[in-house]
Amino acid sequence: MYIYLPIAEVSLHIAIIIGLGGGVGFLSGMFGVGGGFLMTPLLIFLGVPAPVAVSTEANQIVASSVSGVLAHWRRNNVDFLMGFILLCGGIVGSSFGVFLFSVLRDIGQIDLVIKLSYVVFLGIIGSLMLMESVRAILRTRQPGARRGKLHQHNWLHGLPFKVRFRKSKLYISALLPFMIAAFVGVLSAIMGVGGGFILVPAMIYILGMPTAVVIGTSLFQIIFVTANITLLQSVQTQTVDFVLAGLLLFGAVIGAQFGARVGVLLKGEQLRGLLALMVLGLSIKLGIDLIITPDDLFSAEFIR
Amino acid sequence: MMKQLWKILCVMGVLAASAQNANANQVVADLSLDEVAITTDFNGQNLLLFGAVAANTDMQSTSENENDIIVVFTGPVQPLASRRKERVSGIWINRETVNWKNAPSFYHILSSRPVADIASDQLQADLKIGYRHLGLRAAEPLADGQNVRDWQDALYRNMTGKGLWRTEEDAVKIMRNALFRASVDLPANIVPGDYQVRILNLRDGRLVSEDMREITVQKTGISAFIYRFAHDYAIFYGLFAVFFAVASGWLASAAFRRS
Repeated sequence: MYIYLPIAEVSLHIAIIIGLGGGVGFLSGMFGVGGGFLMTPLLIFLGVPAPVAVSTEANQIVASSVSGVLAHWRRNNVDFLMGFILLCGGIVGSSFGVFLFSVLRDIGQIDLVIKLSYVVFLGIIGSLMLMESVRAILRTRQPGARRGKLHQHNWLHGLPFKVRFRKSKLYISALLPFMIAAFVGVLSAIMGVGGGFILVPAMIYILGMPTAVVIGTSLFQIIFVTANITLLQSVQTQTVDFVLAGLLLFGAVIGAQFGARVGVLLKGEQLRGLLALMVLGLSIKLGIDLIITPDDLFSAEFIR
Repeated sequence: MMKQLWKILCVMGVLAASAQNANANQVVADLSLDEVAITTDFNGQNLLLFGAVAANTDMQSTSENENDIIVVFTGPVQPLASRRKERVSGIWINRETVNWKNAPSFYHILSSRPVADIASDQLQADLKIGYRHLGLRAAEPLADGQNVRDWQDALYRNMTGKGLWRTEEDAVKIMRNALFRASVDLPANIVPGDYQVRILNLRDGRLVSEDMREITVQKTGISAFIYRFAHDYAIFYGLFAVFFAVASGWLASAAFRRS
């Protein structure tokens, strides 16, 4: 059965939408990632206009982050003070990102910027993750290798407005998490992602937060950033398709449960290695698309 | 569907009767639907256009003066932007843009034979048949070295790729030189609005008569409601979308916690 998406103004088979939600949900449950970085390019690939894909995916991430954060909250793994500072930065960044998005759309460069952001950030994160997981796999084969120090202070931690984050066992400047979250917020709004794949490594390696509270805290702030994007895009561009978001969500919720069950069967470093390969593969695929000569140099689109 | 079929049968009967004793050289036509509803399960719509032309009663008729039909199906005007990519340091980037203010969002031409065989270039231009005769103009003057013809051709290619513009030769079937029918595909990405159908009857390279039909394409039911909600009450739509997401996220977590 085909379903006409009222905002996207395209018609897709309902099984494809739910299947896509389920597939991406499965991977996100397995790897513990949001999946926005997979969902948004796939939606665009299926013919959903890029602005609708990005805004709708933000709406869907609100839901998946809520259900994710509840599990971490129950285990007391959310640093709410850190989360609050992150979400302040995230809201500033994502608001600017939504503005930037509409400007880029009007000058016809939004597709390019989306793709370039994907190529650059997925490429960097994918390579780092791959190196890290290969090192981890090698390390498990050589028992006795010493673990490094948890985190080191540098000048960034010493910026003004120092705050004590009890749950994260940190005493650092609030400006640093604020700036990181603002930067990720801009990317979030442009790429249609939660930004966990950048925020989580940044929280571990730059802020030096303990791994246990990182996921819950990042999910906590992603709820607010993606809710902000959903609201702003609804008001400014009317590109949030909640029928599409609802169907994707339905598939994703079920897929994530199965994914989580498969995920526990695999080792952490193997999982991260697989995820890294997937992220890198997507980055390379999108990069090649930008380089090869298109079939038709001309393209046409309806404008508002 | 039954209603549609019934209507076709009725009109066919009337047409056949009138075609037999028609003296006026008049073409009459109708569509299987007056209105296309974009509902939740909309995936494009196939329309049947059917009609009759006065059979040539001229006793001196030769095989030369067969009837020809050209159908011009035009949708509402919607601003369009054409863009041209250029390679900049290895990457293909949109560099030039042409905005079209008077381009139809839908433009299908169906004919009983190739249009070039039916009507001369001059006649095509006079009757505004074909995208080159639509008077498509760029909103801003073109830059040096840009040729409006190239951009028009590119627009035609791009719109044909979307299924919104099309030229279909031999799409109109004429039976016994009097009755004709054609099938028109409205794709799922169609723009709502008023559509005009011009039915031109030509003979010996001249326009003999023409008829005009209109059809409305509109969103109805839930999809129309959601669209209007999103556009007229944007802030409430946004709040609802967020609330809906938070609620379903919470629900999902609660549902799977128990199991």
